[in-house]
Amino acid sequence: MPPFKAGLKRKVRSEKTAENVVEDKDSNSDNDGEDLLKGDLDKESDATDSEHEDIDAGSDGERDEVLFDDSVDSVLEDEEPGDDSLEESSDLTDSEGDESDGSEEGDESQSESEAEQSADSGAETGTAPSAAGSSDESNKKEKREIQKKESIKNKTPKETEKQQTNKKQNSKNTKQKEKIKMNSVDVLASKIEETKVSTEPVQQKDEYESGDTSDEEDRVNTAGDVPMWWYNEYPHVGYDLDGRRLIRPPQRDHIDEFLKKCEDPEFWRTVRDPATGQDIVLSKEDLQLLERLRSSRVPSAEHDEYEPWVEWFSREVLATPLRAFPEHKRSFLPSRSEQRQVARIVHALKMGWTKTRRELAAERRKKKERNFYNLWGSAPGAARPGPRALPAPRRALPSHAESYNPPPEYLLDRKEMKEWEKLSETPWKRKYTFLPTRHASLREVPAYPRFVRERFLRCLDLYLAPRAIKMRLTINAEDLVPKLPSPRDLQPFPTGEVLRMRGHDALVRSADFDPSGQYIVSGSDDGTVKVWETQTGRCLRTAALGAAVARVAWTPAAGLSLVAAALGRRLLLLNPGADVGAHRVAAATDALLAEPPPQHDVLMDERTSSCVQWETVDAEQWARGVRISIAHFKPVTHVSWHARGDYVAVTLAEGAARAVVVHQLSRRRSQLPFRRAKGLVQCAVFHPHRPLIFVATQRVVRVYDLVKQELVRKLQAGAQWISAMAVHPAGDNLLVASYDRKLVWFDLELSARPYQTLRLHGGAVRAVAFHRRYPLFASAGDDRYLLVAHGMVYNDLLQNPLLVPLKQLAGPEPRGELCVLDVRWHPAQPWLLAAAADHTLRLYA
Amino acid sequence: MADETGEAQLQVRFITKQEQYAVSDSPYAIQSNVQPLELNKLLNGLLKETKPSIEKSVEFDFLICGELLVTSISECLQDKGLSTEDTLEIEYLERFPAPSPQDCLMHDDWVSAVHTHGNWILSGSYDNSIHIWNTKGQHKLAIPGHTSPVKAISWVSFNGDQAVFVSGSHDQSAMLWVWNVSRNSVECVVTCRGHDKGVECLAVSADSKCFATGSWDNNICLWSTSLSDEDNVPVKKKQKPEQGNTREPTSVLKGHREAVSGVQWMDFNTVVSSGWDHLLKIWDCELGGIKQEIAGNKAFFDVDWSPLTSSLITASADRHIRLYDPRSTDSIVKTTFTSHTGWVQSVRWSKTRDTLFLSAGYDGLVKLWETRSPKTPLYDLSGHEDKVLCCDWSNPTFLVTGSCDNTLRIFKSKHATGNA
Repeated sequence: MPPFKAGLKRKVRSEKTAENVVEDKDSNSDNDGEDLLKGDLDKESDATDSEHEDIDAGSDGERDEVLFDDSVDSVLEDEEPGDDSLEESSDLTDSEGDESDGSEEGDESQSESEAEQSADSGAETGTAPSAAGSSDESNKKEKREIQKKESIKNKTPKETEKQQTNKKQNSKNTKQKEKIKMNSVDVLASKIEETKVSTEPVQQKDEYESGDTSDEEDRVNTAGDVPMWWYNEYPHVGYDLDGRRLIRPPQRDHIDEFLKKCEDPEFWRTVRDPATGQDIVLSKEDLQLLERLRSSRVPSAEHDEYEPWVEWFSREVLATPLRAFPEHKRSFLPSRSEQRQVARIVHALKMGWTKTRRELAAERRKKKERNFYNLWGSAPGAARPGPRALPAPRRALPSHAESYNPPPEYLLDRKEMKEWEKLSETPWKRKYTFLPTRHASLREVPAYPRFVRERFLRCLDLYLAPRAIKMRLTINAEDLVPKLPSPRDLQPFPTGEVLRMRGHDALVRSADFDPSGQYIVSGSDDGTVKVWETQTGRCLRTAALGAAVARVAWTPAAGLSLVAAALGRRLLLLNPGADVGAHRVAAATDALLAEPPPQHDVLMDERTSSCVQWETVDAEQWARGVRISIAHFKPVTHVSWHARGDYVAVTLAEGAARAVVVHQLSRRRSQLPFRRAKGLVQCAVFHPHRPLIFVATQRVVRVYDLVKQELVRKLQAGAQWISAMAVHPAGDNLLVASYDRKLVWFDLELSARPYQTLRLHGGAVRAVAFHRRYPLFASAGDDRYLLVAHGMVYNDLLQNPLLVPLKQLAGPEPRGELCVLDVRWHPAQPWLLAAAADHTLRLYA
Repeated sequence: MADETGEAQLQVRFITKQEQYAVSDSPYAIQSNVQPLELNKLLNGLLKETKPSIEKSVEFDFLICGELLVTSISECLQDKGLSTEDTLEIEYLERFPAPSPQDCLMHDDWVSAVHTHGNWILSGSYDNSIHIWNTKGQHKLAIPGHTSPVKAISWVSFNGDQAVFVSGSHDQSAMLWVWNVSRNSVECVVTCRGHDKGVECLAVSADSKCFATGSWDNNICLWSTSLSDEDNVPVKKKQKPEQGNTREPTSVLKGHREAVSGVQWMDFNTVVSSGWDHLLKIWDCELGGIKQEIAGNKAFFDVDWSPLTSSLITASADRHIRLYDPRSTDSIVKTTFTSHTGWVQSVRWSKTRDTLFLSAGYDGLVKLWETRSPKTPLYDLSGHEDKVLCCDWSNPTFLVTGSCDNTLRIFKSKHATGNA
C-alpha cells in the first residue's frame, strides 16, 4: 500500500502543479528513464519507508510548504529539469564508483546520492525516523539518514512557521491533499473526477498573481544565480528571505506522469518550474505569448506594427520647431573624414590598387569577348625569353658505311649478320643503327622515288615558310648611282641637229674646224677636201686631190691658213684659198711656203729620209691648193698638229718603229722620235702646251717627253684596241676610245690607271673630242648615237674630274658597219660636228 | 568642267584704238567658249548697225590683256587665271592682212642678202654678185665685183637718177656703189678695206651719211658714205686703183670676242651689234666706246632695232626669237617668240607697224610675228624650199626674203586701211 500511497500523493501533486506538455519530449523520456531507475531504487527504499507512512502523513504540512516554494521558484527557473536530469545521471555514475572506492570523496558523493534518494523518495524517508533496521544500505547510509532526519527536525520549527503563514492561501490545496491521503485506491475514479473539479479553480487561479503575492510576502528563493542541481541532493531547493529552507516539492514518478497525461486535459500546457519543482499551467495568454515569440513577433498583442507614421522631422519649417538650436558649423563644412576616405580611394585608384566600376566592367566585358590567338603575328617580344638556346650537338659526318654503295669491308658478312640478328631484341647494342646495304646506283635506293617528291615538298616548305630570319641588305639601286648634277644645270651643250652638210660622194673620214670656227674642212673617201661655212653649211671650196682622204686637220696657228690632209702615203698641206678665211693670212701662208728653206738647214739622218720624203709641189697641185707634199713609206692614218702649228705628228700604219713621224714645217724636216717599236701605234697626239707626246698603241698609251727623249708615263687603258685619243686642253686629262665600246678617262695627275671607264656606246668608238672652252666632250662610233658628256676638270688638285653623261644625240644612219667617223667641237660654241659615213657632215647645237 | 566653261556667260566690252571702228561702250554678254571668228562676226554685225559707211566686213584681231586671242576666250582666261565674273575688256584692231606671195626671183646661187628701197630690190648672192631688181620682178642688173659671197647689202640713198648702195662681202671688203637708174649702169665708187676677215653685216645710218660693218675679225667699222674721197683717203694706201678708191674706216669699234653677226643703227651715233660671243653691244660711235652690254646665252645671229617701240629683236643659235628692251634693268628679255623649228637666221622689224616683225629660219619658213602673241606667229610665209638666209621689210608693202634655194621671194602685204 505505501507505494500506492506515494503514487497517489504524486498524482495529487501533479494535479496541483499541472506539468507542462510543451517541454521537450527527449528530456521527458530521459526523465522517464531516470525516473524508472530511481523508481527501482525507490522500491527498495519504499520497502524500508513503507513502515513510516504514518509519520509521513503527519508531516503533510511541511510538504505543502515545499510545494509552494516550488511553485514560486518555477517562475524564475525554467531550465532546471534538463540540468537536473544531466546532473542526476552523472551522479549516478559517481555513486557507483563511490561504492567501489570508498574514499572520502566517495563518501561525499554517497552522501549526495543518498540525499538524492531521499529527495526522490520524498519526505517519507525524511519523515520516517526509524529507517535503519531493515534497509539494505550500509551503516553509513543509515547514519546519514539519521543526520538528515535530525536536520529535518531542525528545520521543522521554521517550516511550521511557514506553514502557518501560507495556510490561508493554500487552504484549498491542503484540503485536497488531505482527502487524497485519506482516500483509498478504490475511490480513485471518483477522485479523478474530483480532481477535475478541483483543478478548475487551480486554472482559474492566476499564478502570477500568487507569485506577485509571494513576492510581496518575500517568498523568494534567494539561492542566487547558481545552477539548481547543486541542490539536487538536498531536500530543499533554496532559501527564502528569512534564510529558511525552501523544501522541494514531491516529485512524480513515471506512472503518475503517464496517468496525469491521460487524465489531465491541461497536461499539455503544464510546465514544471525548475527552481521550485512545481507544475505551472500556462494560461491562454501565456500560450499566445509563446506563440508570438515562437513566430518571432512582438510579444505583446497590443503592439501595432502598422501604426500610422508621424513625420516629426520634415522639411516643413515649423513655427515652433522640435529643435530650435542653430545648425552646427559642421553641417556647412565638407566632412573631413569623408574627404579622407575619398582621398584614400583616389590614391588607391592612382596606384592601381583598386579599379573603378567602369574599369572593372570593361575588364569583365573584355574577358567575355572571344579572344583569338594571332597565329601569324610576331611574338610580342622580339627575342625569345630565357637564356639562349644551346644548339644541338652536331651530328657526326656520315661514314662510309652510310653510303648507298659502301665499300665491301663495311658490308656485314655472315658472322656479323648473325650477330646483327642476335641483337634484334636489343637493337641499341648493334654496331650500326642501320644495316649497310649495297645499291648499284643511287636511283635504286628504295627511298629514291619518294626522295624527289619529298625534297620538292621540303623546298616548298622552306620557300613558303622560312624558319630563320633572313638578314637582307636593302640597297636601292638609285643609291648606288652617284649623285650627279642635272643635265639642265650643265647647259649649254648640243641638243639637236641643226645643219646637215651634203656634198661628199663617199663617206666622210674626217672633219675639222678652222681656229675661229668660221669654216669646216672635211676629207672624204671620194678624194676631195671640202671647206664649208659653219653658219650656213655652205660648201665654199672643194679640192679634188685624187685619193681618199684619211684625215684632215686645220692648223691651230692663227697666222697660217693650212690644212693637213692625209691621202694614202702622202701628207698634203693645203691652203684653202683666198676666199676662205683671210686674204692676208692666205697670202702670208703662200709666201711662207713658196720658197723652201735653205737646204743646209734641212738635216735628216738616213733612217728618217728612208721613210719620209718632202716632195716639191708642181704648179697644178699648187693651183689646187697644195702647198707642201710629204711622202711616207707607209699609209698615213693619223695626223695631229702641235698647238703652235709648226709641228705635225703623223702616224703611219704598220710603221713599226718608224710609225710616228714628226714634221717641222718651218724647217721642212722630219724626225723619227722612237727607235724601237712598242706595238701597233694607233695615233700620236701632242700635249697642248708641254713638250710631251702621247702615243697610243693597241692597249697602252705612252707619254714621252720630247725634250728629254724619255718615257714619262705608261697608261694602261684596259681596253682591247684603242681607236682614238683626245687630250684635255688643260693637258692633265686624257680620253681614250677603244674599239671594244669603251671610253676611258685618265687623270694624269691621279694615276696611270683609268679614272673612269664609260661603257655607253653600243658599238666601237671611233672618235672622241674635247671642247676647247666648255667642259664638254663627245664620242661617237659605230652605233648611231653620239654621246655628249660633261667633263669638268677642276683646277683644284684635290677635286677629281666630274663626268656626267648629258645626251645621246641621234646620229646618222649607219652605212654598213660604220656610222660616225669623226667628231669635232666648234672652237668657241658648244656645237658638235660629226663626219658621218652617209656622206654628210652634221652640226649639232 | 567643259560644260561649265561652255555654258558660262561672259560680260565683255569692246574697245578699240581705231576710231573708225568704234562701237558703243556698253557691255555684251557672250558665251565664254567663243572663238575669234565668232567674235569677228559679232563685231561686224555691231559695226553694220552703228556705222553703215563701212560696207565690207572687216577682219579683226582681238587682244585680251595685251595678248592676241588665238584660242577661245575661256581657254585664254584659264591660261591667264582671270575670272569670268568680271566684265572683260576686249580690245580689237583690224587684222593685218595676210601677205600674198607676189614673185620669185631666181638667182644663180644662194641669196644671202637683200634690201629694198622704194621699188628697187637689191640682193647679194653667194656667187659673189649683186643683183638689182624692181618690185615687179624685173632683173635690172647683175653686178660682179666681190670675190667672195656677198653677205650684206643696203641701199644708201636715192638722188634722182643716182642711187647709192653698199655691199659687204666675205672678201673682207665693203663696196660703195653708185647706180645710175636711167642708164642702168653701176660703178664701184669706193672699196672699204679695213677688216681682216669677211664682212658679215652692215647697216646704213638713218641720215645716210655713214654706215657700219661687222666682220668675222670681231670688229665693227664705221665708214663714211660720201662718194668723194678727198677728205679721208690716206695717200700711202692708194696703190690699188682697180675698183675705184679705197677707203679706211672712220672708226673701228673693238670689243667683241667673236664674230659680229649683226649691226644696226639706233640713232645717229648709236650702233647696236650682236656677236657670236653671246653679247649684244650698244656703241657710242662718237666716243667709240660701249654704252651697254646685254648678255644672252647663245650666239646671236642677227639683231634689229625698232625706233617705234625702242626695243631690240634678236635671232640666235636656237629656235627662239627674243625681244629685248635695253632700257629695262631687271629682266631684259621681254618676250620669247618660239615657233621656228630650226635656227633663226634673220629678223626684221616692220618700219611702220610697231608690233610686227619678220623672221627667217633654217626650217625654210618666214614668219610674220605680232609681238603680242609670242606662241603663234600671225602668218607663216612658206614657199622657200631650203634655209632662209635673209629677209627684209624696208618697204612696208613688200616682204622680201632670200634663201638657199637660190630664190628671192617677194610677198606683198596689203596695207591695212586703218593704220595704228
